[in-house]
Parts: sequence; structure tokens; C-alpha cells
Amino acid sequence: MEEEEAGTMVHTNFYCHLGNWGILKKLEQWFIPISMSPWKLGEKAALQALKANPYVDMIVVDGISLLCTDLQVDPQDIVMLVVSWHMKAATMCEFSRQEFIGGLQSLGIDTIEKFREKLSYMRSELRDDQRFREIYNFSFGWAKEKGQKSLALETAIGMWQLLFAEWHWPLVDHWCQFLQLKHNKAISRDTWSQLLEFAKTIDLQLSNYDEEGAWPYLIDEFVEYLTENGIVQRPQN
Amino acid sequence: MSAQKRRTFKIEAFKHRVEIDPKYAERTWKVLEHAIHEIYNHNASGLSFEELYRNAYNMVLHKYGEKLYSGLVTTMTGHLKEIAKSIEDAQGSLFLEELDRKWGEHNKALQMIRDIMMYMDRTFVPSSGRTPVHDLGLNLWRDNIIHSSKIQSRLLDTLLDLIHRERKGEVINRGLMRNITKMLMDLGPVYQEDFEKPFLEVSASFYSGESQQLIECCDCGEYLRKAEKRLSEETERVSHYLDSGSEVKITSVVEGEMIANHMQRLVHMENSGLVNMLVDDKYEDLARMYNLFRRVTDGLLMIRDVMTLHLRETGRQLVSDPEKLKDPVDFVQHLLDEKDKYDLIISKSFNNDKTFQNALNSSFEYFINLNNRSPEFISLYVDDKLRKGLKGVSEEDVEVVLDKVMMLFRYLQEKDVFEKYYKQHLAKRLLSGKTVSDDAERSMIVKLKTECGYQFTSKLEGMFTDMKTSVDTLQGFYASQHAEIGDGPTLAVQVLTTGSWPTQPSAPCNLPTEIIGICEKFRTYYLGTHTGRRLTWQTNMGTADIKATFGKAQKHELNVSTYQMCILMLFNSVDRLSYKEIEQATEIPASDLKRCLQSLACVKGKNVLRKEPMSKDIAEDDAFYFNDKFTSKFIKVKIGTVAAQKESEPEKQETRQRVEEDRKPQIEAAIVRIMKSRRVLDHNTIVTEVTSQLQSRFLPNPVVIKKRIESLIEREFLERDKADRKLYRYLA
Repeated sequence: MEEEEAGTMVHTNFYCHLGNWGILKKLEQWFIPISMSPWKLGEKAALQALKANPYVDMIVVDGISLLCTDLQVDPQDIVMLVVSWHMKAATMCEFSRQEFIGGLQSLGIDTIEKFREKLSYMRSELRDDQRFREIYNFSFGWAKEKGQKSLALETAIGMWQLLFAEWHWPLVDHWCQFLQLKHNKAISRDTWSQLLEFAKTIDLQLSNYDEEGAWPYLIDEFVEYLTENGIVQRPQN
Repeated sequence: MSAQKRRTFKIEAFKHRVEIDPKYAERTWKVLEHAIHEIYNHNASGLSFEELYRNAYNMVLHKYGEKLYSGLVTTMTGHLKEIAKSIEDAQGSLFLEELDRKWGEHNKALQMIRDIMMYMDRTFVPSSGRTPVHDLGLNLWRDNIIHSSKIQSRLLDTLLDLIHRERKGEVINRGLMRNITKMLMDLGPVYQEDFEKPFLEVSASFYSGESQQLIECCDCGEYLRKAEKRLSEETERVSHYLDSGSEVKITSVVEGEMIANHMQRLVHMENSGLVNMLVDDKYEDLARMYNLFRRVTDGLLMIRDVMTLHLRETGRQLVSDPEKLKDPVDFVQHLLDEKDKYDLIISKSFNNDKTFQNALNSSFEYFINLNNRSPEFISLYVDDKLRKGLKGVSEEDVEVVLDKVMMLFRYLQEKDVFEKYYKQHLAKRLLSGKTVSDDAERSMIVKLKTECGYQFTSKLEGMFTDMKTSVDTLQGFYASQHAEIGDGPTLAVQVLTTGSWPTQPSAPCNLPTEIIGICEKFRTYYLGTHTGRRLTWQTNMGTADIKATFGKAQKHELNVSTYQMCILMLFNSVDRLSYKEIEQATEIPASDLKRCLQSLACVKGKNVLRKEPMSKDIAEDDAFYFNDKFTSKFIKVKIGTVAAQKESEPEKQETRQRVEEDRKPQIEAAIVRIMKSRRVLDHNTIVTEVTSQLQSRFLPNPVVIKKRIESLIEREFLERDKADRKLYRYLA
């Protein structure tokens, strides 16, 4: 734990509140001003922000590794997704100052220890049906490239693997295989969100799958793929 | 007000009784009894009606009505029993005659008796609740004669036997039959119970037997003729000697036994059944079948179903037979002929029955759309007709042909595919000037517009406008040039508005120097009068007439395509050119170049060029020579290929792809229109509505509709409802 350090700060009210918090030191480390960032950010948004306020900072990849080290957590750990969700982060692998600080506030975190403790709480949130759905749907916008409408297939597959490790869906591997074989294009938001509904409501024999059920056409094709390849034997009606 | 009672006055009968003594009553009765005997013995002439009437009257008056009535019953019964015996004793055919005669006599007697007993009939009978004399007479006849054990069954058997014999062809005494049945009818329910019921039963088994026999040895047409004959016989029989109420009953027996029970077998009879009749246009037989079958339940339904099945099968074969599909014009002619054939059958034999018309239409719609080239072929048919087929045909007949084509058009599910091809073919016709009649062309457009709305035809009309405007432009051009042109080549230009025409714009090739001059002059002239436009020569279209002189000073006029002209003009300066040299000089695209050279050098009778080596195909190292030795018996030689042909496989794929692409925005527009007005809808309803909105152009694929919906969701025109994922919401 770091020592408290009073200090004169330049900007906002945040700092007055944060003044006595050990996190302060960390913030300095984690935040890297844009001009020093070796990593390419989401172009337009970041540049605009830069033009508007040169003091807007972002935590990007380096900062995130440091953050994770301090939290004693693997950067690939799904709990970081939950953290991002709490912070309403716009894009993966970066936090804006506003997102980060706002998130810490809403979580009631003022020390590293508290942050670490909150992690197990955050993990447990994944067990809650409603929260999982929200996190799942959130992750679409978070994982995709800024300015794109759809999510690149590879990223989507990575996310699905991650998410469905928490809430087990036995067909996830077939789904990913199917997409690589037959689709090979980006995933739309509607398909993303409807997939969860599909995974949650349709049983593994697909016996309650309804062709007239207004499922996205990719899911219709997936069902066809499963039955044609004998992966699932649908009960004869 | 005081209630004053009105006094009713009564006239009292005599207080004293007028008695007559019983002996007097007995005497009176005896007189009457005697009279009845005399009447039955045909001795009525000696009787005095007045006296008898008075006697009967007195008896009733003096309260001896009961005696009179029961005496009458006894006496009549006695006589009837005698009559019964005489009838029973009659032999053979005299049986019925005797019965008839006695009936007539009985009626006469009854009449007289009733007249005599009239007073009793009017007073004693109603007050005592007895049967009136006339009816009494009938009842007694019924009970003692008709229902007598020796007569009842013999009567029925005799009647039925006579009918049977008549059915077998014998002539019987119809008048006698008539009298007998009329007698039965007069006796109340006796006709129905004692005669009609058994008559119908016996008839049923007769016709059951006969139909079994006939169906084994007759073909369908013969059988139906016989059935029809039997039906009319029965109707005639009824009119002659049966009660009219029996008609519908006996005809329904015949219909049931002869038709309903054998419908299936008749319709499907090998070599003579319905299908054979249809194929061989047997109008009379078909009409007969229609008229007979319509009398029985589901008879017409059976005919219609078998006809539909047959139509669909023959249609399906027609549209999948590669032989028949080789020539599109022939193919469509076959379709039209088939339609004409069935139209005639329905009008001649099926009474223009609407349900049959509908079955015909739905069958055609079914099989025409089985082949996805139908739209293309129908357009080619029209093209052939408008190009040459309708030459010299009267205006009315032209309309008839075009209307028939429109009828086929209406069956098409993919009308947008037809539109694409029609445009292509029309463009070729217009540009080559090869149309038989401008009026016919316009008439066709009007018909399409009426059927599909102005959007369908607006571009087509644009093409016509361009042609007309081009004529005016050309006139203006030549007027403006005066003497400057002189002996140079004559130019005819068609200015096409991009977007109206289906042609693919292509980069121009290098034009020969001989014509560049005038082309440029035209361009200058046109752009001078139409600022802000861009003109591009479409050298992949167009024709040229070239004068050529061959060896031995033979002159010919060659009609060639623009590309071919560019190639040939090169040979004015040299005698030999290699493929590569030609390619370089003209910059014609390779595939077109090969095709042109092939038609210039490899076709017998049109080989104005000579190729080395003399192979059939064009290779890149071939060399070409001006063919000095070219001959033709025609002075004018046509070399270019301009006529529309059915597309090759890759061309067809391309067109189909373009059609699919065109459909996407139409589907989206329909979805947006529907959602804008309905706001929230479930998936299936959207699909149904979209399909119905677009069905005049094509049948949208539900999977494509779904994809368009998802695309609209992505572009945030629609969203899924939060509560029910099967509902979509319009986002304003």
C-alpha cells in the first residue's frame, strides 16, 4: 500500500477527493498522456478528444498491464471485462480518465486493496443471469473497432470463448467452427445479442427451435449445419 | 248506465215428437240396399234418384243415420268382396285389365251412391265423426281389393314386371299402367308405400346389375351414352305413367347406381377415360361426362381434379423436356396451343364453368414457373413476333396474339425477370430497326402498363422517345451541314439516354479515318445544342453498309457491325494483317474481336476475309487476308449478328444475379413502407405483407426478406422489441 501524499494538482474536483488516496500515485503511473502513447488508439475519438482538451488522458495497453499487475490479475481474465462494464468503457484495451475515475467512484473503490477485494465480487456478478446478459451485450460494443458497425469475426470468436467459459454453452465450439466455415464475415449486433437468447432458450436437441421464430438468418443456417452434419439429431415431429 | 240484457229469441222445435216406427226404417233401408245392388249390377237406369234421395234423407231425419251408414258399409263391402274374387280369377294380362275395369265401375257406383246419400254426408257424417262416403268408398276399395292377400303382392309383381320388361326393350300398355298408378295415387299413401318404395328398390338392384355388366364391356364414352339414355328413359317413363314426384327419386337412383358408384373407374378407364378424352378433344363425350357427373356429389370435383393433375403433369414435362426447350419460340407456341386447347374444351364441353377456368389457370401458373427461363422465353416469343412473325397480319389479329401472350405473362411469378429480358430484346429491335410494326410495339407496352403500372414501362417508353428524338436530331444535323458533307459516308445516329437502355456502356474502339470526320462533326453539332451532356460512341453496337469490290470487279454491299467495319477498313491499305495487328489498330476487346473475325472469315458464304490457318477457331497467331475470291449470289450480303437469341449459361447467370440485386432494395422499400404504417409487427406478418405487396413483380424469398430485415436493424431503421424478440419496431 502506498503512502498518502498530498499534492497540488492541476485539474478537477476528482483530485480533491482523491487527494488522500493511495491510488493517486497509481493514477499517475497508469495514465499515459496521448502524446507519449506508442499504441494507436481508436483514431477519430481520441484525436478529437486531444484537440478538445490536451489534458484528457487514456489508460492504454501498457497502463492496463500495470493495472493488472497491481491487481494481481491476468489481463486476459474475464474480470477485466466486468471492470470495463462497470466503467462503461467504450472500447477494449483503453479507459478514458472519465470512464476510469467514474467507474472507481461508482464501485466505491478508493484503495488498491478495495479494488482487489471487489474483484471477487465482480466475478460473482457473472453468475447472475441478468448481469451476465448485460455484460454479454455490453461486450459487443466494447470489443468492436471504433467506427465499425460490426464485430470482426476473430474478435467475436475470442469473446464467445471467453464468455461461454463462464456460462457454459455446449454448442459454442460448433458455432465458432460453423462461422469460420460458412460465414467468414463480421458479426452484426443483432446476431450477437440473439445468440445469447438462442443459447439460453433452445435446448441441445433443438427440439424447441422454431423455424418461424424470427431468429437471425445466421442462426437458421447454424441449425441447418448442425442437422445436416448429424451433430444434432432433431426429434421427428 | 244500466246494463240491459238483450233477450235472445229462440224458436223451439215442436214439443211433440214425430215418431216413425222401426219397421218403416227397415223398409226404407231395404229400398236403398236394393238400389245399391242394382247400381253395382249395372242396373241403375231403372232407379229414381229423387225417391232414393228422399229415402236416405228421411232415415237420417228420423235418427236412423247410424243404421243407414252401417248398412252402406256392409253392402259395399259385400260387393267389393265379390269384385275381389273376379279380379283374383283373372288370368295373366287380364288381371290388370280387370282391376282397371272394376275400379272404373266402382268409381261410377260410388259417385251415384254419394249423390243419393248426400244429406247423410252433410249432416250425420260430420256430427258423428264418420268418414265421408267418397273416402269411405276409397278406403273400402283399398282394404278389400288392393290389400286383399291374393291381390296385393300379385299387383305389385305385375307392375314391376311390366316395368322391367319395358326396360328390357318390350313395348307395354302404358295407358293401362297409367290408370293403375293413378288409382294407387287416389288411394292416398298407397302409391308411395305399396308401389313406389319397392319400385325404387327393384330399380336400384336392376341398375346396379346393369351398370356392373356395362362397365366390364363398354368403354367410358359408350357407358356414359348408355347411362344418359337410361336417365332420359326413366324421365319419360315417369311422365307417361308414374307420379311426377317419383321423377327426382328414380333419377337419383340411376345416378347413384350408374354414375356415382363407378365414377372412379370411369374417369380412370384405360384408353377411354377422362384423360384420353381431353387429349383427343372428344368434346361430345366430355360434355356428356360433365352433364352426368354434375348430378352427383363431388362428380365435377373429380373431373376437375383429374384434369388438373393431368395438366400439371403434361405441363411439367413440357417445361423440363430439353428437346422442347431448344427453340424458345416453339416452346411458347406450345404453351399457347395448350391453353387454346383447354379454353376450347372448357367452353364447348364444360359449360364455361368458372371453377374449371380457375383450375386451368392455377395449373398453368404452377408449371410455367417450374422453369425459371420462362420469362426469358416468353420475351423471345414476343420478340420473334414483333420482328417478323406478325408481318402482314391485320391489326385485330395482332391484338389477339398479344393478348394471348399477356395471359401467359400474368402466370409468371418473376415478372421482373421478364422486364429485364423484354428491355434487352426491345433495345435490339429498336436499334436494328427490325420491328414489324410500331403500333404493335406500342400496343404491347400499353398492355404491360395496364397490367403492371407505369413504373414497369416508363423506361421502355423512354427508349421509344430516344429513337424518335434521334430522328429529329439527325435531320437537324444534316440540315445544318449543307454542302460540307458531299461524297463522304452517310451517318445515322441514335442517341441513347443512359439509364433507359439496358445496354452496357463500353469504351469505344478506334474508328476508321474515313468516318472519324463526320462523327466528330455530329458530336460538335449535338453538344452545341445540348450543353452539359456527354456523348460516348457505343462501338459495341451499330451497323455499317460498306461497298466492296472483289476480284473480277465483283461489287457487293456488305452489311456489318461497327466492329467489323473497323476491321475491314484496315484492309484498304494492306492485304494481310495478323491478329495482333488488328487488335492493336482497332482496340476491340478480345472476346468481341474473336467473334467478329470468326463471322468474317469462317462462315461459308460470308467469308470476305481469308484466314491462315483455315481452322474454325481464331488463334492469336492467325493471319488474315482480304478474300479476293469471295463470291455470293446476293449483291447485298449481311454479316453482322443482331437478332436476339436465348442467353448462354454464363449470360443467364449474370442476368439472374442482376435481378437478385435489383430485388434487394425493392424488398427493403416494402419492409420500410409496411413498418412505417404499422409501427410494430411480428416477423411472419411482415413476410406475408411484403410478399403480397411485391407479388405483382416477383415472389420474394423469405430468407432474403429476413436478411433485409437484419440489414435494416443494423442500419437502425428497425429494432427488436425488448419484451418479445419476435416483434419488430419501426424507428422513426
